[in-house]
Amino acid sequence: MSDTFTCVRCGLVVVTLAPGDARRNHCPSCLSSRHTIDHVDGGPSDCEGRMAPLSIAVQRDGSWSLVHRCTRCRELALHPTAPDDNQLILMRLAVRPLAEPPFPLDVFSTL
Amino acid sequence: MPRRRTPPGRTQRRKDVRHRTGAGSGDAFRCVGCRLGVPVVAPGTAHRNHCPSCLASRHVDGRVPGDRASPCGGRMVAVSLSTRPDGEWQLVHQCTACGVLKLNRVAGDDNALALVRLAVRPLADRGLGRRALREL
Ligand SMILES: [Zn+2]
Ligand SMILES: [Zn+2]
Repeated sequence: MSDTFTCVRCGLVVVTLAPGDARRNHCPSCLSSRHTIDHVDGGPSDCEGRMAPLSIAVQRDGSWSLVHRCTRCRELALHPTAPDDNQLILMRLAVRPLAEPPFPLDVFSTL
Repeated sequence: MPRRRTPPGRTQRRKDVRHRTGAGSGDAFRCVGCRLGVPVVAPGTAHRNHCPSCLASRHVDGRVPGDRASPCGGRMVAVSLSTRPDGEWQLVHQCTACGVLKLNRVAGDDNALALVRLAVRPLADRGLGRRALREL
């Protein structure tokens, strides 16, 4: 495997090894990924579509993972965040549901 | 179509609805998370696929929603909330048996407190979460 990849969305050349020796699967700048693994049946996928960050999932240890969705085939994937991932985009994703609630949140003010 | 009020003494649903909860029932299902008997018909959703109380679901579909093509049958728990461009909330479910992820619409009678708990989960974190809250 090469030690760099070019982001399919923003074109950034990314060093695959992230701080802490983890292998990156998404661009630390725009958080986009590429659909190369079949997340339903396992093994490689020939889709190659761009996977866009959809939301944040919290792991049991409290760390954040990104939910990615393929813009081509709609498949979903869960990827751990890296320490140098774009904090602004991560935070936007984290607050988005509460910033746009589908019902008024003041009903919870008494709880 | 003109709006008509339901005459008193008559309910809109059939009275002889059988609340079968076994496998293959069309009327209701037994939640794999909290064992609640859940009618399939839900307000604001064509077909309910998760429990309105604990939000758990069962892994029955394959790649296409509604195809019931997966033999897994595992319990799916809500792990994340995402927002559609039109503002509607969507649930991200993950199968506790095989790890597969599914995106599901929120139903009109889903437990609002459970949904909000899921929405605030990333913000409970001391580092990033607190910073994100200040950005709100
Ligand atoms: Zn794809
Ligand atoms: Zn499964």
